[in-house]
Amino acid sequence: MRMFATIAKLLVKRVITAIPILLIVSALLFCILRILPVDPAAMSLPPNATVEEVEAMRKEMGLDRPVGEQYGIWLGKLMEGDIGRSIHFRQDVTSLIGSTLPATIELAVIAMMVATVFGLAGGLFLFYVRGTRAEAVMDFFSILLLSLPEFLWSLFLLLIFGVFFEVLPFTGRLSPGFERPVITGFLLLDSLITGNLPTFFNALEHMILPCLALGIALSPSLMRVLRSSLLDAYQDDYIQQARLRGLSEKRILIRHGLKNAILPTLSLMGVQFGFLFGGTLLVEIIYSYPGMGNLMVDAIRNADLPIIQGAGLTYCVAVLVISIVVDSLYLILNPKLRVR
Amino acid sequence: MAILSAKNPILSAQNLCVESLGAKESFPVLTDLNFSLEPGKILGLVGESGAGKSMIGRTISQYLPKGFAVTKGTLAFDGEDLVSMLPERRRSLLGRDIAFIPQEPLSGLNPVLTVGQQIKEHLLRIGLAPGENWRERALKEFEAVHLPHGAALLEKYPHQLSGGMCQRILIAMAFASRPRLLIADEPTTALDVTIQARIVKLIAEMQKRDGTAVIFITHDLRLASQISDEIMVLYAGRPAERGPAKQLFSAPAHPYTRCLQLANPTISGPRRGLFILPERMPGLRVLKELKGCRFASRCPNAVEACTEIEPPLADIGPNHIAACIRTEKTPQIVPPPLSPGREIASAKVHLNGEKLTKAYTTAWSPFAKRSAFKAVNSVDFTLGEGEFVGIVGESGSGKSSLARLVVGLDTPTDGRITLAGRDVTSNGRSEKAYRRQYIQMVFQDPQSALNPRRRIGSIVTQANEASGLHTGARERMDRAAELLKEIGLPPDAAMRFPSQLSGGQKQRVNIARALCTLPRILVADEIVSGLDVSVQAQLLDLLLKLRDEHGFSMLFISHDLSVVRYLCDRVLVMYRGKVVESGETETVFADPQHPYTRSLLAAVPPDDVNTEWSPVAAEAGYQIE
Repeated sequence: MRMFATIAKLLVKRVITAIPILLIVSALLFCILRILPVDPAAMSLPPNATVEEVEAMRKEMGLDRPVGEQYGIWLGKLMEGDIGRSIHFRQDVTSLIGSTLPATIELAVIAMMVATVFGLAGGLFLFYVRGTRAEAVMDFFSILLLSLPEFLWSLFLLLIFGVFFEVLPFTGRLSPGFERPVITGFLLLDSLITGNLPTFFNALEHMILPCLALGIALSPSLMRVLRSSLLDAYQDDYIQQARLRGLSEKRILIRHGLKNAILPTLSLMGVQFGFLFGGTLLVEIIYSYPGMGNLMVDAIRNADLPIIQGAGLTYCVAVLVISIVVDSLYLILNPKLRVR
Repeated sequence: MAILSAKNPILSAQNLCVESLGAKESFPVLTDLNFSLEPGKILGLVGESGAGKSMIGRTISQYLPKGFAVTKGTLAFDGEDLVSMLPERRRSLLGRDIAFIPQEPLSGLNPVLTVGQQIKEHLLRIGLAPGENWRERALKEFEAVHLPHGAALLEKYPHQLSGGMCQRILIAMAFASRPRLLIADEPTTALDVTIQARIVKLIAEMQKRDGTAVIFITHDLRLASQISDEIMVLYAGRPAERGPAKQLFSAPAHPYTRCLQLANPTISGPRRGLFILPERMPGLRVLKELKGCRFASRCPNAVEACTEIEPPLADIGPNHIAACIRTEKTPQIVPPPLSPGREIASAKVHLNGEKLTKAYTTAWSPFAKRSAFKAVNSVDFTLGEGEFVGIVGESGSGKSSLARLVVGLDTPTDGRITLAGRDVTSNGRSEKAYRRQYIQMVFQDPQSALNPRRRIGSIVTQANEASGLHTGARERMDRAAELLKEIGLPPDAAMRFPSQLSGGQKQRVNIARALCTLPRILVADEIVSGLDVSVQAQLLDLLLKLRDEHGFSMLFISHDLSVVRYLCDRVLVMYRGKVVESGETETVFADPQHPYTRSLLAAVPPDDVNTEWSPVAAEAGYQIE
């Protein structure tokens, strides 16, 4: 019970501090994009529009008013959930983000799971072979893995499994001809809810390559952090004391070593997950995956300000949410933060 | 040579040798160890750090450091050889029949598991009686070690408890299986004197209850003589002397035992000088080439014959053996006279604190009311020119907080500090600069106080950087050479890094650094705790010598009352932020007025083994835990 109270306290505190952060980010987004030498009014009209037509459009869009007032209006609409209309796609930004965000979240979450599995397994293995000749070999490979970025993995995996062996699909979220249920927007979840197993498995197949690429790229740093925090934990007296009480090495590792070593690994995972939201961009492009990354690239290419603003804010909210989740997990796992 | 054989020893070592086996060279760690321990007896293992005391415990568990191995002899537990037995068999003995109590109670428990989770794990491993609930059993075990509120304790995490409570929990766990052998490796070194006394008494009580044989490892000969039946003094991996505790302590036969005894300041009777053991124990690497007695290079009684053959362990008396060819000369080793020049009569007051108070308030939070805690509560004190004033008390009594106020690391919330006639209470920019000229601080742990990436020469002259004077490389090297000479280090030490020095040498550097700009006042926070008595004696005499040369005064914070008695002219006794008693050291210690001072003094093991040590009686009403 006490744990829930502490976490509730943390949540309240973090939500309160999130408000000024969001205000500052929104103001920054608004200002920077207003400074850009791009005229949204001219862009939303056909290229042969006259100067008068552009002026009329500027008035209609409110671009002739002072910047502060414009920000006020924009913020007011934002509160109502209206981020504006995309100039390029001619659709509400909210619905554009609403249809791409779940795809990216799905990608990021599964990629993080892959990274966690590889990272923990690799870290434990690195720790297990400590002090042996195998350690030097493993060390070499973990550095090799560390130095390969996710887009290279994307290309390797795509060429090997998609093009050469032709065993896995590598474009989009779903093959043509599959029914696409829409409830939450999360394709895997929705197909499970509706019991549409063919769609579920097809969508899962599409996720394998991009998630592997992201996960493999993230895992080496997790491995190395876990290994070094395990080594640190094993310097501590309680490990020696557990041995002297006759506990088995396996039990010492899992119950005593890993439980302490997981804490630094967890904070690294939090940071990585935050980066993953921006970092799926290249992978989404390579696999033509219809997520936030592709949307963002289109928006930037077309100077589609409302989308850029909306996506920027979404990113900020996502990072805040992730950090709150990680901090709560930290509270659960580290009693020093929880009880005094 | 006498091999002490008991009828049914629980543990017996015969010609036990442990070596560190390197790829290129190997060297001895323990040499020809013979001893046996009967059920229900306590064997005290004494010696300086590096003597091999802890290695015996590690050999019993066979968790030796990498590259170390038993190369000769046997170590039998109840007739079974621990060295050659299958690891699985040995592991089944650990925690059940052979239990360990660690040195650092706080880190001996896993920080992310509750006490309950940890004792449950242990109880389930050693096995419960049919139908017995682990929780009830845990509470029973807690009761046996006098831990109140056992049920609440099960839910706590180690960081919520004091060191003394953690040690009691570890003792409860160790005795839960009614072990036949217990190894306690410096179990009280990290604890306050009063708690040390209680923990030692508790181990003795539990040991009597179960008839457990105990190996009690300590660097404190006086403590060992109080608790043990027999004592073995180790020197450089080899037994120097072994005998019944009382006899060995009152009439030591080996010069090393005698020197250790005389290096430790007394707590009662007339003050005497400290015997300074020169240098330090030969390192493991040199032992192989060393001919003759390993102690010869430091022995005041050594003659040429001592460096030729290694002296065998010879009978001295009943069950008493020593490895020395001139044991009859040992009683002739006497402490030097008290260092002269201790009477520095001066009425000039350097530093004056009036009603000094430091209150801490809890951090602001919308969920809890802020509360204040007075770490230092209305303390008055003075420090005269050339005077050494000791501050004693348990941890949490406010000693270190007071030191921080004096050096200006903290600003008092109330009261006044006057330094050489100027009020420095406000601790502003100019007060700080003024204070720096006068006061320097020496920190407790040289390991973390010295920047590992700077050379000693640059560390000791660090104060020049702050003062902005004599910052030229040439000037600094010259000053460093002077300082190193004063503290007794070779000039080439200036080019070394802290990691290349021993613990005692590092603490000397720590002192030299504080002395660089010739301050008038030193504030020293526990600077000799955790050091061997031999190194401690060297440092104490160094401080006295430096005072004779430079005439500085010092606030000396320590939990070790005998050290304060030896070094300090006056003493302040602190309890919960307040000074409960103060005065001339000898007067206060000879005739303590406050019950808290009496309980502190009673907690120190007496100098005379025949005096009964009764720490518990005097402490009533003054318990921190």
